[in-house]
Amino acid sequence: MPKEDSTIFSSYQRDPSLFDEIYDKKGQVKEVYKTLFQLYGGHSIPDYMTLNEKARSSFFNQGITFQVYDDKQMQEKIFPFDLFPRIIDGKEWEIIEKGAIQRSRALNLFLWDIYHEKKILKQGVVPLELISSSENYLHQMMDVDPPGGIYNHISGTDIIKHNDGKYYVLEDNIRCPSGVSYVICNRTALKRALFGVFNHYETHTVTNYAENLLDLLESVKPHGADVPNTVVITPGMYNSAFYEHSYLAKTMGVELVEGRDLFVENDFVYMRTIKGPEKVDIIYRRIDDQFLDPLEFRADSSLGVPGLFSAYKKGNVTLANAPGTGVADDKAVYTYMPEIIKYYLDETPILNNVHTYHCSRPKELAYVLDHIHELVIKPVDEAGGYGISIGNRLTKKEIATVKKQIQEHPRKYVAQPIMSLSVHPTYIDETNSFEQRHVDLRTFTILGKDKDFVLKGGLTRVALKKGNLIVNSSQGGGSKDTWVLK
Amino acid sequence: MLARVANNLFWMGRYIERSEHIARYMHVNYFSSLDAPNELSRSRQFVLNSMLRMIGDPEAKENEVLNEEEVLFKLALDPAHPFSILSNVKYARENANSARDLISTDLYESINKFYHFVLKYPEQHFLKKGLYDFCINIIEMSSILRGRIRSTLLHDEVYAIIMLGVNLERANQLIRIINAKYHDALNAQGSYGDKFSKSFEWTTLLKCAESYDMMRRFYKKTPTSLTTLEFLILNPNCPRSMMNSFNQIYTHIRVLDNSFKYDKDSTAFLVGRVRAEYQYKYVEEIEGNIKEYIEAMLKNLADIGNKMENEFFHY
Amino acid sequence: MSLEYNIVYKAENVYDNPVKEARWQFLIIPEENYNQKLEAITFKNSMEFPYEFSTNAYGFKTIRILAKAPFEAISFEASFKLLKETSNPFDFILPINQEDEYSKYQQLQFKVDHEPFLRKTPLTTLLEHHINFFEYQQDQFVFENLQALNKWVYEKIFYTPGATDVETTLDEMLEHRQGVCQDFAHLFCAISRKYGIPCRYVSGYLHQGNGYFGDSQMHAWTEAYIEDVGWVGFDPTNNLIANENHIKVAHGKDYSDCSPLKGILYSKGSNTTNHSVQVHGQQQQ
Repeated sequence: MPKEDSTIFSSYQRDPSLFDEIYDKKGQVKEVYKTLFQLYGGHSIPDYMTLNEKARSSFFNQGITFQVYDDKQMQEKIFPFDLFPRIIDGKEWEIIEKGAIQRSRALNLFLWDIYHEKKILKQGVVPLELISSSENYLHQMMDVDPPGGIYNHISGTDIIKHNDGKYYVLEDNIRCPSGVSYVICNRTALKRALFGVFNHYETHTVTNYAENLLDLLESVKPHGADVPNTVVITPGMYNSAFYEHSYLAKTMGVELVEGRDLFVENDFVYMRTIKGPEKVDIIYRRIDDQFLDPLEFRADSSLGVPGLFSAYKKGNVTLANAPGTGVADDKAVYTYMPEIIKYYLDETPILNNVHTYHCSRPKELAYVLDHIHELVIKPVDEAGGYGISIGNRLTKKEIATVKKQIQEHPRKYVAQPIMSLSVHPTYIDETNSFEQRHVDLRTFTILGKDKDFVLKGGLTRVALKKGNLIVNSSQGGGSKDTWVLK
Repeated sequence: MLARVANNLFWMGRYIERSEHIARYMHVNYFSSLDAPNELSRSRQFVLNSMLRMIGDPEAKENEVLNEEEVLFKLALDPAHPFSILSNVKYARENANSARDLISTDLYESINKFYHFVLKYPEQHFLKKGLYDFCINIIEMSSILRGRIRSTLLHDEVYAIIMLGVNLERANQLIRIINAKYHDALNAQGSYGDKFSKSFEWTTLLKCAESYDMMRRFYKKTPTSLTTLEFLILNPNCPRSMMNSFNQIYTHIRVLDNSFKYDKDSTAFLVGRVRAEYQYKYVEEIEGNIKEYIEAMLKNLADIGNKMENEFFHY
Repeated sequence: MSLEYNIVYKAENVYDNPVKEARWQFLIIPEENYNQKLEAITFKNSMEFPYEFSTNAYGFKTIRILAKAPFEAISFEASFKLLKETSNPFDFILPINQEDEYSKYQQLQFKVDHEPFLRKTPLTTLLEHHINFFEYQQDQFVFENLQALNKWVYEKIFYTPGATDVETTLDEMLEHRQGVCQDFAHLFCAISRKYGIPCRYVSGYLHQGNGYFGDSQMHAWTEAYIEDVGWVGFDPTNNLIANENHIKVAHGKDYSDCSPLKGILYSKGSNTTNHSVQVHGQQQQ
């Protein structure tokens, strides 16, 4: 036994008000974490510091970096990675997986409906304003039948565990959810650093994502494409997610293209190769709707492909996700998820939704204004954790500002009770020890024609600043490998 | 393969090759000059001028005294100078980045490490005592890259495009080096009764092309202008020779264009034609007219480059 | 009875710097509908670049050109031969009760069905105090209100070529009360939608034989939805119900859905464009 005071866990402090993922209700280390806890506890601090440094340089050498601009100089940074994995046991995972598929299916039916008969709106189940005031609702998509009937091929569902021990969904990301490449890189980095720990657990692989993605994309190929030609389209190598785009293209074995590599002729899409034009059938697009086609959307966009939309409308090419899918990722739609699931699937939600107050409704607006200190205020249409105010962290002056903003544009804001994200031991550089940090989980779901797939694993994001609840990488978050046990 | 990406890979090959040649030229010239047999070849100004000529920088104006540290910095680590080794490696990496999905993880990691090595190399250490260490590392790392290109990529179009870049650049650099050393040999002659044909600079030239040892093994004599040019330009078995590069270029262009029909506008046709010309050339024809031949060879290479661009990269 | 039209659309682009590559999309072909029949189309461009017909996202026919050789100027010419049925725009029966009629516009199902043409767009948004200039009369039929609106818009703005451009907002335009046909149409749409009457922006050609306003370019008017009747055209620039002189090309939420020429260029520097339209008509039996 190593001496208590020399190990990295010896100074681990537990705040009883937080839900710690590795302890059970009685305060004992959970069965699934026991071995891991012992294995990690056996490392001395310098030993662990070396491992951590190695993992870091592994990311750096692989070029798994994103670019940050400060003081005019471009810097490459790695997405901070924590070597202590998060474990989800098989039974618990089953619920997450079913819940994620249920949501994706329901959202797909919702999208089909609002771009066709609009029954859910006509019956008043959800308000017309969800689409009439959404900038992401594309009238161009009216009555367009996407190949295979799928809109949201790829979804990223953000899930947390509240201090009641239950999972809640915070967001369904169905525009261009990113992060899946980090899931796989995290696994690789952990294996390189601490391969021994895998011998004690039976963990599901995460490297099968790309093959499933290609398989499901090909299941929604356009008519007449017997052997479909798939590509990934990226805004270019200066995009912060470029690594992921190239990773996905490479692991699927397909071309990574930019808009300028494609052109449309007679409503078919072609790419410019060294041997002349080659037809393209399926496009996994990582550019936003507004940039897809300068002839139909933003005319100043050079990222897209002129004429792409008409080729899509003719059914000659599959776009994943379908244009106009973004409307269902508005935070306002999220708040109606229980109704949407009930309406289309006649089921109750498997994963909980956080109760949401709509500032557009006068009664709820009044409640929100009175209870700001115990609510999280979110703008409806911002991504990446921007513009979020957490009530109990605000000064009086800030509360007044937030109130004013809400009153000026009530439709722009929703409010939710402050959810307490569960915490997980995380190695902290500054103190060279493990501390509790808040975590969430992004899962990745793929829908195809009559099939679906959820990656068994996911991106556990960690808010590295003490007490911080915002886990987004753009706001200083890190991540962990996530093990789903067999 | 996408035309744009092919273009990037082609240039990745060229930049990798170019970095190596600059590094070798720098250290070979610098260190051979230290104990060169004649005064002029030993002169700092002479060597620094030669280095600048090799990377295509306008030479110092008459009477302008070049600062050694400035010149070395410019060639190696100057981020503002597009011909510096740092810039070359940076471009190679950017090109690799855009084609990351096509090349192996191994190759990408090596290029990435290469870039970080150059980027982080301490400037003062390089200027005071790191010249040899820096240059040798650049040469070694480019060899690793070439090894990984050969051993971790599928030998298909991607490989052919990269190898076209490598070989076209190698041929280009060789001519530049021949040109620079030809000038040095002209300038250095007479100072100690050295004749042009027996100039010490031919030895340096062979070393710059990493061919000295093999040349000695082949001729078993002190290099002269005639044997040096024959070995470096016409010997197909010398891996650094013009002839060898042309043969490689021909093999790889055939992967992209394997039709054997008569098409005088194709790149493959032009490469074949140029290759045939050198395959059956007498070295005496060249030796008598070095200047003219250097210009002709540069033009041949430029024509091949332009043709390739129009045929394969035009998008 | 019908009219036969010959319409010639011309555009000429001149560029400061040579253009390496370009793609254009023209939305200028008259729509085929119950009273418009297209008999012939010819299209040419001075560079003889290949072109193709396609359909845009809203189902209107387009002409698309792909240019892949350097050029500094290019001109296009399209001509259309079209048969247009003449009809009486007032040929429908008004409903019995004004209140019943208006209440139909308040139903959720109706609002959902017509959502695109009830929506505020950046080009059809007005400040509250500008909207209130026009008052909807509950005791009159929708059609009568729209006629009044047509007249109101016609009187509100002075037709002034060049007074505004695509960037001008309606509110800015109303400060000076000068505008072109697009402004008349947008203002009509904004107010009609504000009162819950679906209204769409229409782009097309106007036969100017009778001294109507319009300036040898494409014309703009509106269509509003009248329950039990359908879409009825209003031309607020001329205070008219759209008639056999109005040849429709496309409709949309506003100008941005209907702009006649969209294109992207791979070139630096600016360019100048000239458009012109000629419409000749003659009676057919």
